[in-house]
Amino acid sequence: MASYPQSRRNPVSRRNFLRLAGMAGGGALLASCAPKATPTQKPTEPAVEAAPTEPPPAQEKLSLSFWTPGGSDVFCKGFGTIAEEYEKLTPNIDIGEAQCNPSGENFNEMLMANIAAATPPDTTIIWTSPAAFAARGALEALDDLMAVSKYSQLENWPAGVLASCQYRGKTYGLPATAGTYAIFYNQEMFEAKGIPSDRESFPKTWDEMRRLSKEFVKWDGDVLQSAGYIPWGIPGDTFSSAVEFAFWSAVNGSQLFDAKNLKYTIDSEQNIYTMQYALDWWDEQYKGDLTKVRTSANWGGYSDGEGRPPAFQENKLAMQTNGYWFTTDMYAVEMKFERWDVASVPVGPNGKKTASGYWPNWLVIPKGTKHVTEAFAYLDYMTVDGIKIWYNNIPDLPANKKTDPNLVPKTVVEKRGQELAASINTFFHQQLDVATPMWDSPVQDFFLDQLSRAIEQILGRAASPKDALGEAQKACQAELDKVLSS
Amino acid sequence: MLARNLPWLTMSKLKRREAVAGYVFILPWLISLLVFTLYPIITTLYLSFTNYTVVQPPVWVGLENYQTIFFNDPSIKPSVYNSVYYTLLSVPVGLILSLLLALVLNMRATGIGVYRTLFYLPSLVPPVAATIVFTVLFEARSGLINSFIRSFGLPAPAWFADPNWSKPGLVIMSLWGIGAQTLIFLAGLQDIPKSLLEAAEIDGANGAQKLWYITLPLLSNVILFNLVMNVIGSFQVFTQAVVIGGTTGNPMESTLMFMVHIYRNAFRYFKMGYASALSVLLFVVVMVVTLLIFRSARLWVFAEKDENA
Repeated sequence: MASYPQSRRNPVSRRNFLRLAGMAGGGALLASCAPKATPTQKPTEPAVEAAPTEPPPAQEKLSLSFWTPGGSDVFCKGFGTIAEEYEKLTPNIDIGEAQCNPSGENFNEMLMANIAAATPPDTTIIWTSPAAFAARGALEALDDLMAVSKYSQLENWPAGVLASCQYRGKTYGLPATAGTYAIFYNQEMFEAKGIPSDRESFPKTWDEMRRLSKEFVKWDGDVLQSAGYIPWGIPGDTFSSAVEFAFWSAVNGSQLFDAKNLKYTIDSEQNIYTMQYALDWWDEQYKGDLTKVRTSANWGGYSDGEGRPPAFQENKLAMQTNGYWFTTDMYAVEMKFERWDVASVPVGPNGKKTASGYWPNWLVIPKGTKHVTEAFAYLDYMTVDGIKIWYNNIPDLPANKKTDPNLVPKTVVEKRGQELAASINTFFHQQLDVATPMWDSPVQDFFLDQLSRAIEQILGRAASPKDALGEAQKACQAELDKVLSS
Repeated sequence: MLARNLPWLTMSKLKRREAVAGYVFILPWLISLLVFTLYPIITTLYLSFTNYTVVQPPVWVGLENYQTIFFNDPSIKPSVYNSVYYTLLSVPVGLILSLLLALVLNMRATGIGVYRTLFYLPSLVPPVAATIVFTVLFEARSGLINSFIRSFGLPAPAWFADPNWSKPGLVIMSLWGIGAQTLIFLAGLQDIPKSLLEAAEIDGANGAQKLWYITLPLLSNVILFNLVMNVIGSFQVFTQAVVIGGTTGNPMESTLMFMVHIYRNAFRYFKMGYASALSVLLFVVVMVVTLLIFRSARLWVFAEKDENA
């Protein structure tokens, strides 16, 4: 009898089984690495003839996704209400539940990855300048849609604010809200020292403000017990300082970025002077010591990571720069005083007029979105109609000129009365008209990091204003040139 | 000649089948090595010569990224300085303390197993959670550590709020995880033949002499291993630094480690090409340092000689 190898006699021998199992495993691994099928449906081209609030009727219900980079629970849930209202008007559209910061802190990373993978949301809020996203080719241009929209024509937005959405002549976002900046001051601290506390009497120049600040500065050894105003921004929060430096530069007759000529002017004579002025102020009132000031108290407007309450609400800081959102946010912690007001940013020695800054919530449509027209229609609705619901939850300052000017934050009305709340609201709206262009650089994040580095070096005495700003200028211009040439 | 170069041809059917089966078994590992290790390394090398912003295809820019590193990036100097400072301080301190701890844990004492477990446990705590706890401990005004220092009437540093003290703070924090290398030292200590220590004792050697002439030479291989791993780990320190100083390395770039700088360029500025160039540079530096350590090992690592060789 012929003798056959084991494998012939039993085709599923242990050896064969293991070999097949190994091959199957390898095959499965390879299959899992294969790219997923490319969608055959092409993204919808922007249809300029469509009326945004009346999107073209679709045969099937169209689902749109909406993301936000984060925000409080109230902020996020508010978008559900806006979506419900919009769906009543447009029954063929279904707005999915707002994805509120789907990736933890790294929202931009997640958004860019999804755009690269051709799975972007249809619409999203971003908290980084649209100009910077546009320079990377990550957003849809909206000009054609804006021109025929119900609310979002170019002229309906403050020019300085809209500039943040524009790159190389095209508009890539809608600055739905743009909280403007101002000086918040504690009227009760002023009055305790016999200083007039009405808005009109507030200092109009840097020298006046510096003199006033000195009235409130009180040291106990190396601990700063109370302060007047700490230039320029929150000590230790150099990012905020860098953001706010845009309007401190503007009130001293300069700017940081010339968007028209695509040139940085970080180390202009006026900007160097502005930082030198801050240094002198620090030397005179704050012992020139950033560390001592930082460790003495929390000089920001919110509880810090160490659980320290903010000095302004604690009655220990007479004046601080902050944005419109702070009119409500300040009440998130216990207030040790009642009466406060806001004033314009004082003018520097080289400046001629006041200026303000702003920090928007930008609405954008990522590149690769399949339903551009429908997505834009929703954004257009949100900027004027939806903003009322948004505002009721979180009073961000609406930027579109067609929004109801009588929207007033409920909290401020409750705490300070209708009249003052309305006055404060009008004031912040007026600040939009004097808002200096900012957030308009294609390398905005890089620029802010370089500027905050320079500010920290200057205040920490590691470099002179000229050297630190000069280094930031060189790095930012080189980065900008690289992006523009690519 | 051909058969010597291509043994496959002379293999029996059974051996060939066994070889195929072997390759099939290592295939999953081989594929993951190629896909998840080799491919990213080669891609990183390629991307380091490009301008790549994730959304658009990479554009070849030659050596531009490397030129930027050496001539036009103001954050390179502080990030290199911080990483080297951290490595030079944390590696020796960590090695010495973990060795001392291992020597203590190597003693015969009641409940020593419990102590060994206790000292190892901290290395299991997630780094982010541990860092957050340490920021509270190191808080300048009311932190536990400064309260303790002040109780002796000594001036307390501001730690992570002071650029001069933030890096020493990070080094102290790194000691929290020395349990793992202590365990490796402990294994090495237990491999040392007792007869050698007893012989030295009979010859009249005291504790220090036994440590210097017997324990350390016989442990030198383990020291080399821990040294190399620590140096590589220190150059790549990231989590603690980014939790404390963010991507800007607060305060005053004093916590801006090289890895944080890479991360910032990749995921904040989306300059993947430039971040790749930084990664290649880090890879080269770590490789050179590791090779230097191995080269120096000839001078200080004890290798038993085979008398019959």
